[in-house]
Amino acid sequence: MSEEIVFIISAVIVLVGALGVVLSRNPVHSALFLIQTLMGVALLFLIEDAHFLAAVQVVVYAGAIVILFLFVIMLLGVDKAEELGIDPIGGQRELALVVGASIAALTIVTVGWSVDGATGSAPASAENALDNGLTDIERIGRVLFTDYAFGFEITAALLTIAVIGAVVLTRSIRREDVLADLEPASLELPSLAPAGANDEDTPHDGDSGNSGAEVSSEGNRES
Amino acid sequence: MELTTTWYLVLSASMFSIGATGLLVRRNPLVMFMCVELMLNAVNISFVAFGSDLNDVGGQIAVFFVLVVAAVEVVVGLALVVAITRRRADATADDLSVLRG
Amino acid sequence: MLAALAAEVGDFVRPPIDWHAAAPELTLLAFGVLLTLMDIVWLERGRKWAPALASIGLLATMVPIITLAVDGADRSMFGGAFVVDKYALIMKAVFILAGYIVVLISSNYISEGDYWENEYYGLLLSSILGMILMASARDLITIFIALELLSIPAYMLATWRKRDLKSNEAGLKYYLMGVFASAILLYGMSLLYGASGTTLLVDLNESISASDSPSAIVVMGIIFVIVGFAFKVSAVPFHTWAPDTYEGAPTPVTAFLSVASKAAGFVALMNMLFVGFIGRDDVYEPMIFALAAVSMTVGNLIALRQTNIVRMLAYSGVAQAGYMLAPLAVASDVPDSALAATVSYLVIYAVMNLGAFAVVIAVARKTRSAEIDDYRGLFHYAPGLTVAMTIFLFALAGIPPLGGWWAKFRIMGAVIEANTVSGVVLGVFVAVNSVIALYYYARIGAKMWADEAPDGDLTPVRVPASLKSALVLTVAATIVFGVLPGLVGDVTKVSLLAGVGG
Repeated sequence: MSEEIVFIISAVIVLVGALGVVLSRNPVHSALFLIQTLMGVALLFLIEDAHFLAAVQVVVYAGAIVILFLFVIMLLGVDKAEELGIDPIGGQRELALVVGASIAALTIVTVGWSVDGATGSAPASAENALDNGLTDIERIGRVLFTDYAFGFEITAALLTIAVIGAVVLTRSIRREDVLADLEPASLELPSLAPAGANDEDTPHDGDSGNSGAEVSSEGNRES
Repeated sequence: MELTTTWYLVLSASMFSIGATGLLVRRNPLVMFMCVELMLNAVNISFVAFGSDLNDVGGQIAVFFVLVVAAVEVVVGLALVVAITRRRADATADDLSVLRG
Repeated sequence: MLAALAAEVGDFVRPPIDWHAAAPELTLLAFGVLLTLMDIVWLERGRKWAPALASIGLLATMVPIITLAVDGADRSMFGGAFVVDKYALIMKAVFILAGYIVVLISSNYISEGDYWENEYYGLLLSSILGMILMASARDLITIFIALELLSIPAYMLATWRKRDLKSNEAGLKYYLMGVFASAILLYGMSLLYGASGTTLLVDLNESISASDSPSAIVVMGIIFVIVGFAFKVSAVPFHTWAPDTYEGAPTPVTAFLSVASKAAGFVALMNMLFVGFIGRDDVYEPMIFALAAVSMTVGNLIALRQTNIVRMLAYSGVAQAGYMLAPLAVASDVPDSALAATVSYLVIYAVMNLGAFAVVIAVARKTRSAEIDDYRGLFHYAPGLTVAMTIFLFALAGIPPLGGWWAKFRIMGAVIEANTVSGVVLGVFVAVNSVIALYYYARIGAKMWADEAPDGDLTPVRVPASLKSALVLTVAATIVFGVLPGLVGDVTKVSLLAGVGG
């Protein structure tokens, strides 16, 4: 009986948090509701005996990812963050609600009314079974470094490249470039090639008069 | 009532659909990223529930990788938002989004 | 203390690693690291060398691929999660060579424009690394990681044109729809995992094709997985990101997205379909039939109305995705034919499309625009480019003796061979749509040859060396594939079913 009670409490925490994320006006409130949801999910992991995952969930998700969100919201300014003026995916709100409701109906009905639980085959090896007496961490460690070692190493490449790209995207533009750039943002298609690309015999080596090179080398000296 | 896997799956499905609806309805990119996080957490619940039902550690391993990828996606998404907002701050033309559909 | 630790983990056995099988990925990774190190050590002084290092890296990665192909044996690691067979090697070669051509067409574009250069090539190589990993992945988790590794750099590359608002927003849109799709994909994977108890695709197939598998979960899982991949290959109705992203990204990145990313999405879909749920054709066949038919039609019809060549190529890419999906809709009846048809179409499509984008970049060096009207009279001042573009356009339309006709022929052959109603209907769709497409491809050709140049401006287009070599390579390949179709046919006689016993 106690398990059911804990589950119900965690489920309430999770769902209230989820609704809070979606319905809040203020993005900071959304971020705090997200933390609530993530804590609820960590509770669920604990009930399922996934202790390591619960700890990682709290540390990585709530402790790093949401902090990152809050950093960016604060960096942009909360009032600015509320109305960013960017409308990435156009389309009617009603259509979105219909699609969302149909996803909800589809998924909930399917998993709720299907054959109780799963009928998959037994785990491939005793190493993978959850009741083989090893501690949670040891079991995950063993499987991670044998069966999934390649994927593990590739995620290292993924993390590195994401950081490199993110830094490049957010490199600040130099003050002189900002001042020189204060014409209204053009609504036309940007030119596909810089001026003078087609001229006769202009020197085209990589470090002659490229504003890109100058920006980045200045940036490197500053940082 | 017995606590079965189905309870977890229904919870995961609900959270997934709340996240999906939120992503489609909200206009603020930061909140949209948070809705994606909701969806990914729903997937995590689903994986762990199935894993424990099947007595297999594969579900937990999958959650491990989803966690890493979620972190990466957040980094990239926030970098994009910052890049755009910074550019907008420098532009004097204050127009609505130019792209339709 | 160390001794105590060692004693405790005494029975840990390192997984057997076949270094030769992993050699392509490791080589590309090494060159990516080298590029990053060069960037750290030489900062901006190394800009000149970045494209050279990137192309050397890509060509060096071809070496282990060729040795693996010569060796001929199928290899697998990690219990079948990472498989190197003929299909994987061909797709790896396609990704590497397409990447090489993208490097060629982007070297001048990136160095002359206001772009970060070293990081551009670093991201490009990472994306290609994800793609070659995807070709070998036969496991749910590995496929997902490879998909993310190839997509994340692509999201960032699409916004490389930092100073332009419209393109930044297009990149953000691509990113949001991409992560939405990958979340849906993951949910589908979790359902499939739950229904089968395993992440290996081979075991997945066995489990879900058995009569006692929980049907509703499996059906929903397969549907969600296909939806996730349909976004990546820009099938209708998940294609809405494509035109804006193609227009907003720097044109070499657009070429990369339209060829390599799309091919990688198809590889992922084919891996999952042929190895993972080939037994459940009652689920995936109707769905892919609908996706293929609608993509072909909608893509072509909207392309008719485009005035911007990049957007037109985006919509034509949507239609081409439809053609490539068509054999997959009859995959259970003729699996080997269907796979070979889609693979050969991918190979030929890669060459044609890259060539078309190379011409777009070349012409834009002079006209600085991508409007179709600015292609008028191209023949008068750039006859070579006009001939090349005509070759690519007619190849895309499927006219013999250029490459595209053989690709369409294979597709039609596969769907007819299936001998089902849906196969014949798809064949009709392909035929009708090819005729529709011919109209908008030919219209550009007519403008180039027959019209007068705008403003009577007849200064020739200066094409730099790397762009020129890319054009030569793609033109040659298009002609060769058309004239010697057996070349592609023999190489792409692949089968994914060897491991499934089907």
